[in-house]
Amino acid sequence: MSALPITRLSVKEAVSRRLLLAGALLSLAFLALFALGFNALYSRVASEAGQAEAAMAGQAETAVAGAIMTMLGVYIVQFLVAFLALFLATGAVSSEIDSGTLHAILARPLSRRSWLGQRWLAFAGTIAAYAVLMAGLLLGIAQMIAGYGAVAPWRAIGLLVLEGLVLLSLGFLGSTLWSTLANGAVVFSLFGMAWLAGIIEFAGEMVGNDLMRNIGIAVSLLVPSDALWRGAAYYLQSPAFMAASSAVGEPGGAGPFGGSAPPSAALIGWSIAYVVLLLAMAARRFGRRDL
Amino acid sequence: MAELPVHTAGLRKVYGSSTALEGLDLEVHPGEVVGLLGANGAGKTTTVKILLGLVAATAGEASLFGRRVADPQARRQVGYLPEHFRFPDWLTGAELLDYHGRLAGMPAADRRARIPEVLERVGLAGRGNQRLRSYSKGMTQRVGLAQAVFARPRLVLLDEPTSALDPIGRREVRDLIRDLREEGVAVLLNSHLLGEVELVCDRVAIVDRGRVVRAGRLDAMIGPGPQIRVRLDRVDERALAILGGLGEVVAVDDTTVVLAAEGTDPAAAVAAELVRAGYGLQALIPVHRSLEDIFVGLVSEGSG
Repeated sequence: MSALPITRLSVKEAVSRRLLLAGALLSLAFLALFALGFNALYSRVASEAGQAEAAMAGQAETAVAGAIMTMLGVYIVQFLVAFLALFLATGAVSSEIDSGTLHAILARPLSRRSWLGQRWLAFAGTIAAYAVLMAGLLLGIAQMIAGYGAVAPWRAIGLLVLEGLVLLSLGFLGSTLWSTLANGAVVFSLFGMAWLAGIIEFAGEMVGNDLMRNIGIAVSLLVPSDALWRGAAYYLQSPAFMAASSAVGEPGGAGPFGGSAPPSAALIGWSIAYVVLLLAMAARRFGRRDL
Repeated sequence: MAELPVHTAGLRKVYGSSTALEGLDLEVHPGEVVGLLGANGAGKTTTVKILLGLVAATAGEASLFGRRVADPQARRQVGYLPEHFRFPDWLTGAELLDYHGRLAGMPAADRRARIPEVLERVGLAGRGNQRLRSYSKGMTQRVGLAQAVFARPRLVLLDEPTSALDPIGRREVRDLIRDLREEGVAVLLNSHLLGEVELVCDRVAIVDRGRVVRAGRLDAMIGPGPQIRVRLDRVDERALAILGGLGEVVAVDDTTVVLAAEGTDPAAAVAAELVRAGYGLQALIPVHRSLEDIFVGLVSEGSG
């Protein structure tokens, strides 16, 4: 850590911001609320299912309820991770330039590339830790209350982290190009667009419309955040839920916000390349900029 | 031979349609305090930013200690106080110094030992554990200076270092600069406070519209001895001959002669000689030629 002074300072900066402290408290409040709501809903569904005539049908019903509630919970966590990434990234470079704190630091024998890389690393670590902690706790709560077990929880969490890093890198690049405010508007719009395109793609699948499907795919190339979430959602299903939904002929029936297929290797490869590419572009742009 | 702390040749910088630097040549030698003087927008800050690699020159050469400024290692022995300096205000003064020491590659033990020493040097003894947020403007400028000299640089670039300081603070900064010079540190001082520069600099470079219009040792620039403005009822050959015997005639018009006088009490001698020769002496005004006169003269000449 001591070899990365900028990383160290950036982490300290993130921690020292009151806003993030408030965010952490709200995150804990969210988890508590989730636990309460999940418990109340689940016990009700479970008792109703117990009265069902066929035991098999009752089991399927509780499995579906548990899966949908868990996935909704992680869906919210996904938004929290995305917002954390976007908030950290939008001013990552521009606000340092505007406030003038950067000049004295870059006057040290430190290359701009190194400064940028170390700062990215600090924020990436913060986002990853947050995603792992929040998704992990939420899945732990679902496990405790309903005995819910996702097919591949670590893969799902990994994809959430990757989504956070994709958005972080997008915001970093924007932060070397535009003011904090303009960048915030741009990256939040892109994030929203990716979300919308995911729904369009889902609808396209449903009605068999190629144009809608292609819109979804094209936007996923531009901003792969929503596609990564859908991959995570696929891995969050429980085996029982998968069996139940394929029994009704709707594999991966998690609805328009979920995922019906595991993420393709191409998507993961592209997302990693996307992070590297955007960071390289940010470094290039920042390296040439007059401060 | 040691490499020059600062060397630039033909430095040019164009921002869009406006030219900030137009072939600036500058050298700073070890242990020398050089003042870069100029009106706002003359190109002083741009010059310093190019030296630090914060701004890329459009053309020309710039190096620190023989290394081109594009190489971050050129800044290994450099301390810098930016003009509009801002530091992360959630750090304490001591943390800020520690952080800059770390960036400059100082070992931890050395940093720990040097923090109280430097804080004391800039008049912030005992304030190290206070957050920068609570510092006054003057204290912030002091901690900025501390940051600039913390890692024992061989070159210090100061951009308007006294703008937020009261007269006592300014004097302390002058003392600090003199100490640095004693230690063989080169200092490049940007300032529009001519009096400050006059008091502390060995050499000055006057910058106007992106180029050095005059550079040299301060004493040579100001010139030796006082000048006297003599107003007479008439100025003729004989009067000029008399005055020429008492010093060097610098300027003449119908009724006034400006004389760079010699001797210990030139005014009395001038008065006595002229009255004895029968001239009506109307005024005898000692002129203190300062850096300001030279500066204003050069800069308004250029714009005229």
